[in-house]
Amino acid sequence: MDVEFLLPSLGADMEGATLTHWLKQPGDRVRRGEPLATVETTKGLIDIESYDDGQVLQLLVQPGTQVPVGHPLARLDVEAGSHTAAAPAPPVAPPVTGPQTLAASERVTPTPTEARATHTRMSPAARRRAHELGLPLSALEQAGGGGIIHVAEVEKLAAHAPAGSSDARVAMRATIGATMARSKREIPHYYLAHDVDFSPAREWVTRYNAAHTVKERLLEGVLIVKAVALAATRIEGFSGTFHEGRFHPAGAVHLGTAIALRGGGLVAPALLDAHQKDVPTLMREFSALVERVRAGHLRSGEFTAATLTLTSLGADGVDVLYPIINPPQVAIVGAGAIREHPWVEDRQLTVRAVLTLTLAADHRVTDGRSGARFLRTVADLLADPQSL
Amino acid sequence: MDRNQIHTQLLALLTGVAPDIDPDSVDPVRNLRDQFDFDSMDALHFAVAVSETFGIEIAETDAAALANLQSAEHFVEQRLLSKEHT
Repeated sequence: MDVEFLLPSLGADMEGATLTHWLKQPGDRVRRGEPLATVETTKGLIDIESYDDGQVLQLLVQPGTQVPVGHPLARLDVEAGSHTAAAPAPPVAPPVTGPQTLAASERVTPTPTEARATHTRMSPAARRRAHELGLPLSALEQAGGGGIIHVAEVEKLAAHAPAGSSDARVAMRATIGATMARSKREIPHYYLAHDVDFSPAREWVTRYNAAHTVKERLLEGVLIVKAVALAATRIEGFSGTFHEGRFHPAGAVHLGTAIALRGGGLVAPALLDAHQKDVPTLMREFSALVERVRAGHLRSGEFTAATLTLTSLGADGVDVLYPIINPPQVAIVGAGAIREHPWVEDRQLTVRAVLTLTLAADHRVTDGRSGARFLRTVADLLADPQSL
Repeated sequence: MDRNQIHTQLLALLTGVAPDIDPDSVDPVRNLRDQFDFDSMDALHFAVAVSETFGIEIAETDAAALANLQSAEHFVEQRLLSKEHT
């Protein structure tokens, strides 16, 4: 079956992206979930994955071209029964047609040399600097030679290139601003906070880490990831998306984890099926996710899949944060800094490692009562780390 | 391995963990967390890289030693010396 591979929406307000590289050629076999192309968005370089098993027939867009969401990128011959018809992403903002839209006559079939361009990886800071300096991607590809391009290479190149004006940092700020404004405008948020005695979890992690090598070591945050994901399978109404006027519960918990980018901005790629994975597996996947974020190279599935988000300001953060829901999701959990804090137990005053969890949730889907049960479930799970 | 070689290696590991920092801009005595917004995952990735590159085990309680480049150099130097003597 001959189908078109379209540019998916990778965020609620993504309008388009620039195709930077093809990872497959006409004639190549492709499997469902395998990256077909790399695109550059305001969130960085993202590998977009095939929805089907099949074979690449024709590439319709040349590297360097900006295309709107929903635009055909390639033609695939898809195996019968494999075609899933639609992108896994929930419907979001409709494709916007603008001056960047390609007319059909402008579509090209890349020559083999164009299509086999080296797969350039750039750090977010390097990409930002390149944008600030107006360096063309082709120049950077040559400089990269297949390796990761850092700020230093960009600066060196800039000495020989004319200055430009585009600013990726402003673009990302605008994207975050638009998404959050939409969230505040459309979603009736309610907020809850709950203090959790994190001491049992902390002791469990300390014991685990003492018995394992540095490579197998766990971060405390991974226990929070697992507890939040498990709680979302037990209390309904927190893992899913809201569109077409109603809540669509997700069968699984793909937990978006907010990761701050140095120099500003953030991304929240998903840990897929977080509820089903054990803590060491989640740790490995989270570690790999952060590495890909730092290298500026995420996969499209990680962007579109999240059904619930967890955000933390880390060890140096503040005690409490009040997060904003990332639409079309319906809830977000905030984790403050884990701190030594007075704690009363059996009428005795003690000092414990205390974590303040917050929940921002969508009143169109749940009420404070279910939100309270959800947060208490997370607390109960953390009190018994063996259960994770 | 002398202190200079350790310094060069550590800088390379640092930019491997955080490709978005400029190696020439590293202040050796400033905390990596403050200097580059290192989060706990970055710090762990750095510890893993140091452990594997120099063949030394790093306990969780050694984390403070890797807080800045200079203390990391000192830590690696001491560990390599004690490895030679055992």
